[in-house]
Amino acid sequence: MSTLAEDVAATPEVARGEAGSAVEKLTGQVADPNRYDYSAEELRATQIAAINERFQDRKDRIKLLGHRAEEANISEVRSLEDVVPLLFPHTAYKSYPENWLMEERWDRLGKWLDTVSTHRVPPQDKSQIKDVDDWLANLEKSGHFVSCSSGTTGKSAMLVASQKDMDWCKVEAVAAYSWGSGVKPLRDRRMFGLAAIAVVPRNMATGEAYTAALQDPKFERFHYPVPPITVGSLTEMVVLRKKIADGTASPSDIEKMERISAERQKAVDDAVGITADALIEARHDKLHVTGLWAGLYNVAKAVRDKGYSGKDFNPENSIYVGGGLKRAKLPDDYREFVYETFNIQPERNYQNYSMQELQSGMPRCQKGGRYHVPPWVVPLILNKEGDALLPIQDGEYEGRAAFFDLSLDGRWGGVISGDKISIDYSPCACGVKGPTIRDNIVRYADLEGDDKIGCAGTVDAYVRGVS
Amino acid sequence: MNLVTELNKATADLAEPVVSAPFFVRGKLLEGQDVTHRSRDLGVTFATPKLDLDQVVHPRTEVPPLLNVPLAEIIDFLVELGERIKDPSNPFMQECIDRMCSTHILPRSVVENSARHAAGYLDKRTLMAEVEQNFPDPKALDTWVPKQDYTGRKSFVRAFAPRLIHVLPGNSPGVVVKSIAQGAMVKAVNLFKMSSADPFTMVAILRSMAEIDPNHPMVQSMSAVYWRGGDNSVEPILYRPQYFDKIVAWGGGDAINNVIKYLGPGFQLVSFDPKTSISMVGKEAHASEETLDLAADLASGDVMILNQEACVASRFIYAEGDQEQVDRFCAKLQKRIAERAAASGDIRPLDMDLKEQIETLMMMDDEYGVWGKADGKGLVIRSEEPVDFHPINKVANVVRVDRLDDAVKYINVATQTVGFYPFDRMADYRDRLASGGAQRIVHLGEAGPSTIGNPHDAMYALHRFVHWMAHEDGVEA
Repeated sequence: MSTLAEDVAATPEVARGEAGSAVEKLTGQVADPNRYDYSAEELRATQIAAINERFQDRKDRIKLLGHRAEEANISEVRSLEDVVPLLFPHTAYKSYPENWLMEERWDRLGKWLDTVSTHRVPPQDKSQIKDVDDWLANLEKSGHFVSCSSGTTGKSAMLVASQKDMDWCKVEAVAAYSWGSGVKPLRDRRMFGLAAIAVVPRNMATGEAYTAALQDPKFERFHYPVPPITVGSLTEMVVLRKKIADGTASPSDIEKMERISAERQKAVDDAVGITADALIEARHDKLHVTGLWAGLYNVAKAVRDKGYSGKDFNPENSIYVGGGLKRAKLPDDYREFVYETFNIQPERNYQNYSMQELQSGMPRCQKGGRYHVPPWVVPLILNKEGDALLPIQDGEYEGRAAFFDLSLDGRWGGVISGDKISIDYSPCACGVKGPTIRDNIVRYADLEGDDKIGCAGTVDAYVRGVS
Repeated sequence: MNLVTELNKATADLAEPVVSAPFFVRGKLLEGQDVTHRSRDLGVTFATPKLDLDQVVHPRTEVPPLLNVPLAEIIDFLVELGERIKDPSNPFMQECIDRMCSTHILPRSVVENSARHAAGYLDKRTLMAEVEQNFPDPKALDTWVPKQDYTGRKSFVRAFAPRLIHVLPGNSPGVVVKSIAQGAMVKAVNLFKMSSADPFTMVAILRSMAEIDPNHPMVQSMSAVYWRGGDNSVEPILYRPQYFDKIVAWGGGDAINNVIKYLGPGFQLVSFDPKTSISMVGKEAHASEETLDLAADLASGDVMILNQEACVASRFIYAEGDQEQVDRFCAKLQKRIAERAAASGDIRPLDMDLKEQIETLMMMDDEYGVWGKADGKGLVIRSEEPVDFHPINKVANVVRVDRLDDAVKYINVATQTVGFYPFDRMADYRDRLASGGAQRIVHLGEAGPSTIGNPHDAMYALHRFVHWMAHEDGVEA
């Protein structure tokens, strides 16, 4: 019987960094079944050495990093404190002027992308590119895989990655899943994705890897019957919003977008029944269900309405839910409702903590219910303002999450998040020793709310988006 | 979800000191530390009494206490209040300034000056001008004014005292003073909802007022309390036409969205919208070194109003000229902004996101010019189009244009004040600026002052506050 760990071990090129380097020593553990079981204290010197390896290699290649290093007067990373001024906030990947996207200035956007990319972005010939999807496809040809976030009310982040990063995601995502869920990648499940996925390289890569690991080849993978979300379609919404703000959007522009939006909503509504029927038909097979809570809940409800429930489904079914509630309004027991409908046992409910700026995950263990940080991801717990490292403490303590993901190749691995987390460097209840994060992560922005009122403000307050 | 406001049992664990913020309800000071809140701006915790909703609603079966107090007496009372606010021996104001400095983002000197400056509004001539500009016949505030139309039908009309909720902003003591004066002059029953950025000034002023005469109907007509904006245990209960006629609200985004859901027949919004102000500098500025110095100095003054926290403070400066000319202007402008910032002692660093965006522009140096550093000490960015972030905290964006006509397209419904140079070209632009949505065009360097009694936010607000009541009295025999 082959386990995923063995598969990975057979692919040594996934490990990063020069042979014998600190980076290689840490990323090389991606296939090790005991990779989360380490003493952070013992590993710290190696982690700092590895960050310095990355820093020395990148400081003259990533322009923004060079700028940061110069401002902070840092030429060598000797401690975790040295890393703090070198961390990028998530806004670094959306700092391009939005006008360039609206005016389709691909040459300028390419130049911007080059300031955050490890590998040189070749000059973009504007005349050969017809839209944003075309621009992204063009970048892929030169080995730049750009994943855009789906910010429908604001700018999209553009995260550049390399082929090596795509290869890493494929291995690491499935390995973390397998560790956290206990599900062996035996290609014996039928996968049901219950959400429209943004067509970006990282999603495509991990989707492919999950399919290769879990999908029973006797069946075709279920395709959620909703048009895929392309970066072009996301950008259209962002551009329209900007035009509304500028006052240049005509009523017919808004009408057109309302129509597209209504069609999309109809596809989403129709998808619920189609998906419920497909799940009922496949109920005796071993299923792997993924999606977001709102979609999962709606389909589960449709399944119940058709007279089926947990007793009709396979007891070995598994689930992976991405993201939070995203402002969806659901009954209090929505989780239990979904688990019970599809007969999902608690141990096969996978949770993972990560963020789009990183590319490695932190899987939640079953026994301790905490997120485990792998040795190639270095946690840096900062003060709320994000400008100083908190001293590492005994027992659990909280602060703003920042991480250095040593596996990243195409862009800088150090990022500050907007998350407030509680970390503990002492062993977890599950017996594994590495640092863990409590399952109570919140965004500082959500904590603070918007209670502040001033007379000064922007035209954003005057923009009502399309429904 | 209400993660920030929590009952006081949790505060024992907080390491930082809790500042007390009492309420003032119809002449009475209410002290208590029942509920703690966070002030976002400085991350300070403050404690308030528990809010008793029954106390802050004035029953409709009782006429407003100020109704039959003559306007002249109200104005005299307000003038006396102004003296108390300015009086350095007034303990309430001194204590307030001390507390404010622990929760306000601006330096102490700026807070002190703006409180003193705010009291300047409480001047007899100013207040009278305000009333006279708002009402064709101010007597309607004091009495039922007789009317007769051409058919001979007669009536009486009264600008009747309304019931108002004021949702106050936190960035200006001037608004606090104005809200009191305007609420008093229309003889309203006023409930002031304070902001987390300033839960002190309103109460300090109302306490100063109560010192003059605790039983005065004006004191009895005013309450100042705090709840967290959007609090579902307060707003759905209070925001009803049975309790209030109008909600006077400042701001946009969540602050207004929270209010909008409660509007309906009988419960209307008078909104002071969030605004962005700009400047337009014509090619005449480049005529000589002196004119360029002058234009840069005037523009820097408008940028630095309340250290760029106010809506009248300029953020985008459209400058006519070629790049070399505009760059010379930028250098002078940055120097003057930095001097003004240093003089005010304001050393607030830039917000991380803003810094990030500016540093990106610095790296794209063939398209942008940047003067100064992203260190919060004053910075100017030159670009060919306005930047897509909101310049704040001593940051100005100079947008180069061939002709000022090209800048008109950037005027939008959020544009408030346009500071203009040279002054003799203003009349050529004012129609187009108004059509685009702007509200004021002023001499560059004079964004702050306005002719007393002039409209604000494109309206005569007092006229909208009152409840216009008609008493029809038949036809002339």
